[in-house]
Amino acid sequence: MASPPSPPLLEIEGLCVSYATAGGTLRALSGVSFRLQPGEALGLAGESGSGKSTVALALLGLLGPEAALSARRLRFGGRDLLSLSPEERRRLRGGAMAIVFQDPFTALNPSLPVGRQVAEPMVFHRGLAESEALAAAIGLLHQVGIPRPEVVARSYPHQLSGGMQQRALIATALAAEPELLILDEPTTALDVTIEAQILDLLESLRRSRRLSILFISHNLGVIHRLCDSVCILYAGEVCETGPTKAVFRDPAHPYTRGLLASLPRLALGSRKRLSPIPGTLPDLEKPPPGCLFHPRCPYGDKRCGEQSPLLSSPGPERSVRCWKAQEIRGVAWEEAAGGNGRPAARGDEPADQAVAPLVIVRDLRKRYRLGGFWDALVWEKPGGQGWPRPAWEPKFLRALDGVSLAIAAGEVLGLVGESGCGKTTLGRTILRLIDPDGGEIVIDGRAIARAPERELRPVRRAAQIVFQNPDSSLNPRKTVGEIIGRPLERFRIASGAGLRRRVGELLDMVRLAPSYASRYPHQLSGGEKQRVGIARALATSPRFLVCDEAVSALDVSVQAAVLNLLEDLRRELGLAFLFITHDLSVVAHLAHRVMVMYRGGICEEGTIAQVLRPPFHPYTEALLSAVPRIDGERARIRLREEGPAPEFAGRGCRFQGRCPRLLGEICRTVAPPVLEPLPGHRILCHHRLETLAAVASPIADEAPPPGA
Amino acid sequence: MPAGPPEPGARRRLPGNLLAGAALVLVIAAAALVGPWVAPFPYDEFHIRDRLKAPDAVYWFGTDEYGRDVFSRVLAGSRISLFMGVAATAVSLFCGVALGLTAGFFRGRIDEWLMRLMDLLMSFPPVILGLLILAVTPPSLWKTVLAVGIVYIPAIVRVTRSVTLELAQEEFILAARARGENAGYILFREILPNAWPPIIVEASLRVTFAILLGAALSFLGMGAQPPSSDWGLMISEARSYLDQAWWMAVFPGLVMCLTVVGINLLGDGLREWLDPRLRHGGA
Repeated sequence: MASPPSPPLLEIEGLCVSYATAGGTLRALSGVSFRLQPGEALGLAGESGSGKSTVALALLGLLGPEAALSARRLRFGGRDLLSLSPEERRRLRGGAMAIVFQDPFTALNPSLPVGRQVAEPMVFHRGLAESEALAAAIGLLHQVGIPRPEVVARSYPHQLSGGMQQRALIATALAAEPELLILDEPTTALDVTIEAQILDLLESLRRSRRLSILFISHNLGVIHRLCDSVCILYAGEVCETGPTKAVFRDPAHPYTRGLLASLPRLALGSRKRLSPIPGTLPDLEKPPPGCLFHPRCPYGDKRCGEQSPLLSSPGPERSVRCWKAQEIRGVAWEEAAGGNGRPAARGDEPADQAVAPLVIVRDLRKRYRLGGFWDALVWEKPGGQGWPRPAWEPKFLRALDGVSLAIAAGEVLGLVGESGCGKTTLGRTILRLIDPDGGEIVIDGRAIARAPERELRPVRRAAQIVFQNPDSSLNPRKTVGEIIGRPLERFRIASGAGLRRRVGELLDMVRLAPSYASRYPHQLSGGEKQRVGIARALATSPRFLVCDEAVSALDVSVQAAVLNLLEDLRRELGLAFLFITHDLSVVAHLAHRVMVMYRGGICEEGTIAQVLRPPFHPYTEALLSAVPRIDGERARIRLREEGPAPEFAGRGCRFQGRCPRLLGEICRTVAPPVLEPLPGHRILCHHRLETLAAVASPIADEAPPPGA
Repeated sequence: MPAGPPEPGARRRLPGNLLAGAALVLVIAAAALVGPWVAPFPYDEFHIRDRLKAPDAVYWFGTDEYGRDVFSRVLAGSRISLFMGVAATAVSLFCGVALGLTAGFFRGRIDEWLMRLMDLLMSFPPVILGLLILAVTPPSLWKTVLAVGIVYIPAIVRVTRSVTLELAQEEFILAARARGENAGYILFREILPNAWPPIIVEASLRVTFAILLGAALSFLGMGAQPPSSDWGLMISEARSYLDQAWWMAVFPGLVMCLTVVGINLLGDGLREWLDPRLRHGGA
């Protein structure tokens, strides 16, 4: 923590923001207060709709004319922000106060070289000449860890990877030498290994420049990793603040406890059924009387519904907005939420491997040609002399490079990997939404890899898919009833009154009221939409379900509810799952077996306990150590970010480009052998098993999360 | 925003522009329908003594060079002009939507051929293309309608194709394919209902273009034949009298303008009203 006597850099007291709407006034923020010392990192956490980004925009003065803003105190560096003129606010913005937005892919101007974009604030705010600024920009790019900054400065954003773009954005924000850096979900769009590097960078910048950081994120693990203190927002109110470690170890507010109880944990041995927070955010046009959280709070009583609680202090430097903060100490959320703490018996009931697997995939291959017809045309001189001759040499991306797997009924196979590794292609190819180039697919005894569409009908009924994006997976012009009813109609499972009854049953199965059948998708929340997507997939009573990032777009409390639902359905219906995700914690929570995928191939597979313990494939090890977590942290392994490296050409190990444990020439030329430390546990690596087994596990075996 | 979902079956509020547009279009369409019975004079009756008279109590919109009542002629002309606009747009909608869906959904070679064909059509100026289609046979109204319809097919195809391309990437289309739905179901039941809004807006724009193009073709002698009246024909006839009799051009022009505004408002309003996302005042 920063030394107490120095005056705070940022002081916010009683910040209120409201919007006039057709139905009255929408209170986006009510009475938000916190302070930030120089050199301190404060995390602003909360689920979507809690008002996190509104705080940042209010600070920057970017809220727009329709927002009504008031505050008892809004001071930055000793100056009152409310009394500044728009021109002075503009000079402050990007000067002493800089922001980095979530999506690096849209925040950089695609038609300007990166160096110019980093240099621009220095010209505007510091009055440097163009050439000086450009030189300084190259220095900055170097500081944020970009290799070959002179080259990158001349490149355009599309030539850089996502992590490099985010680094360049941070460089842009640093260009005017700000005192406060606001980061709005800066790593949410990035892969976990890249996220870990960006967090390392932010930490070192904070140390070296004594930079204050306001870090906005829905990801409690990331906040735990970076921030000294944390401020939890709910429905535009601060419900708890305090030092990060203390708050996460001993959360005082029921909402904080609920958030922590909803998080799937990576650590083995602490696997419990998740306890989601019931209900949804209140309507901020008509907020409930009393405590905003009481309609969803398992601890609530009569007073909570009548009087708004005041901030009280349960410990040093902590404050909490709850009447019952003292009473409920020691009463775990799970207990209060109603005996949901029963352990998930998942790991203890391994799926019966003796029965023939329901889904078998052998040596599945799919490649895409890069570029068009003319891109593949090259002119070459045979033997380096004579006239050049045309040759057609297309380049291919190997999306699936000989993948094999088997899933038994009632088994969950987790598939993890970073974006672009081919996991979505695999899920879709198994269901023949994409035609494979080679290999075999057998579902429920039918070989379908090359079957024509009309022969697929029974498989279409038996194998279904749940998609990632709840906003795109439901047709906005159809009611929920039509959406769920269509598969029943199509496979002639039910019609008329029977169809309506079955739709009701399916809605009930995903814990939605029957009245939802007449609603349109836009009238549902994200979690509800995802449940409808699951109900649609279940309509044909399938035996195999592909879940493609099915919970990734959801808030943690909703994600927990959907994960519980999937687990229940698996038990009740004996479904086989292929669970595709980038989130290792989710896989650790749900899956029996895991496959780790990298660039179209599997590099490690085994039961969840085997994969989460040494020996590790170097890639698995790096993935595990990169996951930001709230329960302790061990070794850190960071992967080099791949530059514009040549595509994996099919020689040697596919992980050679980024491997932190590269052995040498052998990795580049010889395909790695399969190591099998235990039956069913396979690792593709040139290292000896003993070497791989000797590494410290980046995750703790037992991590009792006290208080949560 | 986290506001609770509005109750289903909530009262549908008709958008204001839909009401205004519908009112305008209704009035003009009604005038076209009952025109011959309410017109104060037959549209082709000469009043030689009252040539080029300014608007007064007898001739509300004044008279033209033969002493024909401009008001009666505007009424009579609305029939041909409206029919021209609506029927021609129906032709281009029918062909354009089908071709656009096909090109956008199947992609590949079909898409390439269709779009090059559309480029070919678009590379002709509309009037020339209309003339080309009409010139080979004696002029008649339905042929003008067909010609104008064909001229505006590419515009509809391009709009339909671009929304189809976008919608085909949505996950609910993948979900339909995972059920093994055939292309017809996906195109007409999943994609088309979502593609209507931009198509309707484009079509309402095309109605007005079609009226104007029909008028231009009439002027060139390929559409409505004198002495029958058509707004475009009236304006072109008024050209030589602009300095003596402004009313001859202004009134048909004004009515045409009102029709265009009305149809555009109607199209915009329809788009809003048909979209369930905008209907309940939701996000």
